[in-house]
Amino acid sequence: MRELIMVRYGEIYLKGLNRPYFMRALVSRVKEAVKPFGGNVWLHDARVFISDMKDRQGCLERVCKVFGVHSACPAVEMEKDDFEAICREASRMMADVNGTFKVEARRSDKRYFLDSPEINRRLGEYVLTENEDHLSVDVHHPEHILSVEIRDKAYLYCRVYPAVGGMPVGTGGKAALLLSGGIDSPVAGYMIAKRGVQLTAVHYHSFPYTSEQAKQKVLDLAKILSEYCCGLKVYVVPFTEIQMQIHEKCPEEYTTLIMRRYMMRIAERIARKEGALALVTGESVGQVASQTMEALQTTDEVAHMPVFRPLIGFDKIDIIEYAKKIGTYETSSLPYEDCCTVFTPRHPATKPKMAKILEGESKLDQEQLIETAVENAEIVEV
Amino acid sequence: MIYLDNSATTRPCEAAINAMTQCMRKEYFNPSALYAPALLAEKIMRACREEILRIVHAPTGSRVIFTSGGTEADNLAILGGTERMRPGRVLYSAGEHPAVKEACLRSGHEAVVIPYDRTGRADVGKLAELLDENVRMICCMQVNNETGAIQPLSEIARLRKQKCPQALFHVDAVQGFLRVPLDMTALQIDSIAISGHKIHGPKGIGALITAPGMKPHARQVGGGQESDYRSGTENTPGIAGLLAAIRAFPREHEMREMKLRLWRAIQERIPQAVLNGSDPADPTLTAPHILNVSLPPVRSETMLHALEGEGILVGLGSACSSHKQKVSPVLQAMGLPRPLLESALRFSLCPENTMEEMEKTADACLRQYQVLSRYQRR
Repeated sequence: MRELIMVRYGEIYLKGLNRPYFMRALVSRVKEAVKPFGGNVWLHDARVFISDMKDRQGCLERVCKVFGVHSACPAVEMEKDDFEAICREASRMMADVNGTFKVEARRSDKRYFLDSPEINRRLGEYVLTENEDHLSVDVHHPEHILSVEIRDKAYLYCRVYPAVGGMPVGTGGKAALLLSGGIDSPVAGYMIAKRGVQLTAVHYHSFPYTSEQAKQKVLDLAKILSEYCCGLKVYVVPFTEIQMQIHEKCPEEYTTLIMRRYMMRIAERIARKEGALALVTGESVGQVASQTMEALQTTDEVAHMPVFRPLIGFDKIDIIEYAKKIGTYETSSLPYEDCCTVFTPRHPATKPKMAKILEGESKLDQEQLIETAVENAEIVEV
Repeated sequence: MIYLDNSATTRPCEAAINAMTQCMRKEYFNPSALYAPALLAEKIMRACREEILRIVHAPTGSRVIFTSGGTEADNLAILGGTERMRPGRVLYSAGEHPAVKEACLRSGHEAVVIPYDRTGRADVGKLAELLDENVRMICCMQVNNETGAIQPLSEIARLRKQKCPQALFHVDAVQGFLRVPLDMTALQIDSIAISGHKIHGPKGIGALITAPGMKPHARQVGGGQESDYRSGTENTPGIAGLLAAIRAFPREHEMREMKLRLWRAIQERIPQAVLNGSDPADPTLTAPHILNVSLPPVRSETMLHALEGEGILVGLGSACSSHKQKVSPVLQAMGLPRPLLESALRFSLCPENTMEEMEKTADACLRQYQVLSRYQRR
């Protein structure tokens, strides 16, 4: 008998002939995630198992953050031949559980001497007799389910931890995330990474308009994201010079949009360098002036690769909920400037005219500005 | 690096570091222990108490209660001092440190603000109207931490004697201690708070000095140390560091001259610069080490980081957060217009700064100002 963690995967089940590719990726991601806990990880019989880890609860929580994992549960593995022993162990597992329960047996070893309904009956009876004072049976709406799986061995568990779902990171290609210090962009990154995409983050830093603390805050956010994303590389791009030139030479109501267009161009340049095929932003229709339909069109236009905006139809309040769920909200709410309000026009254009934007941009040495910014970007692996 | 944020904290002096190291290496005994070596620790504590009492001209029978710092000392005086009084009013000046303000607000008494005048000093005329037999405590700092304005303590003491002698008088002297003279006896002050790390001592040590009649109710109970006013094993390394720092603090220094040089150099280079507060040359109105200047239209935070980029560390008059502008309550209480509030910087000096550093700072201010003032919201 030994204690282990049983990990179940979700959407990978739907894959056909290339399922092994996804499975290998999932096992690698789980292995990387539990490395600090020092356990063994192996794939067997459509489940990923982890044994001999140092801190089972900690390991369990970590595994539940791996994309591609549907759920995980602390389980006990036993020899299946001694049914009496299985009953005893099950009874022990239920000793500190109160309320109603039922037994759910699954028998993939069809040669086993009891069939599933029979296992349910016998095991249920045993557990109930032993724990009569605090347990009762309810087969329709039980508060607890005691599961037993008869495979090449028997597996018992009574608590299932739902995990994040999605697809293993690395199976969906690469993308570059425009990461600010705000609430939205980390959520957008999370959502795309969840689909198996490996991210590289791009952050724009405008010292002295934004502080070292503001930069650290972004790196802290990246650190939180990296737990899900299997590591994250952050390009910290010096942006002050570009902002100053835009501010000086372009029409005031267009400064934000022109700035956004520069951010897209630089992100795309970095994306290509990193072999990424798309950009990810945290924009949502109508949230601010640069996110109206018209404004989005002008920023979209400069990118020559798909721009993913997973939050496009989300209300702010829903994004906040999401951010709280993934653990970035608190850090995002720290009061440091991201792109300092100094450069925000009082009345930004909400229905921009492309001709005006192009006229403004024509006064800037675009290639040189972008080149310098990309060249001087600081690369931080969080 | 040029460090001009000594009102936030100071660099511990060598003497303090040595005294603390020595105390931790050799005199680490619990001062309450009965064997002889423990007496050494007790001796250092006694010396430190005497030194502090002497400096503030405390009346005979006064006590020094060591605390974890200025905040705890203020809390002990205000919350502990007024706890068992009949409900009444506690007054605090508009520019008090949050340690004082928050304690007043939570004291269970009605907390009333003594307004500031345009120069950042408590308005004595307004205070006179507030004083009556229901006032339980008057709190006024000695030196304002943002503008360096010396508060009219003697006028307050006179009014208090006239109109409400029953009220306690608490002075937060964290900024002024050792830099501006204070006479506890003459002003009949009941309690004074000081802090170690503002005078080149360590963090984590401070003290409340209480006059003979002042018996604050303990906020922290336990082994009965500090005559039951503040339980907990004494922070002997901190106390040793505090004593050394007090002794090492130069009695003569050129802080005011340096401050004036800095102000004049800034003024010459940037005509738009505005001084916040009273005449920096007048030792009865301003402390020698703090200069508060606005450089409109450049926002405080931007200028702070720009100077940081040049290796000059200064403090902020107001801090801007991502969307709303958080403005300094002190400068706001002085009635400063918005552009000055948003562009205020605090330069706070220590005796070890140099005239050359003042010139360099003014040069850097000008360099950054020329660039940054062009890139402000139009």
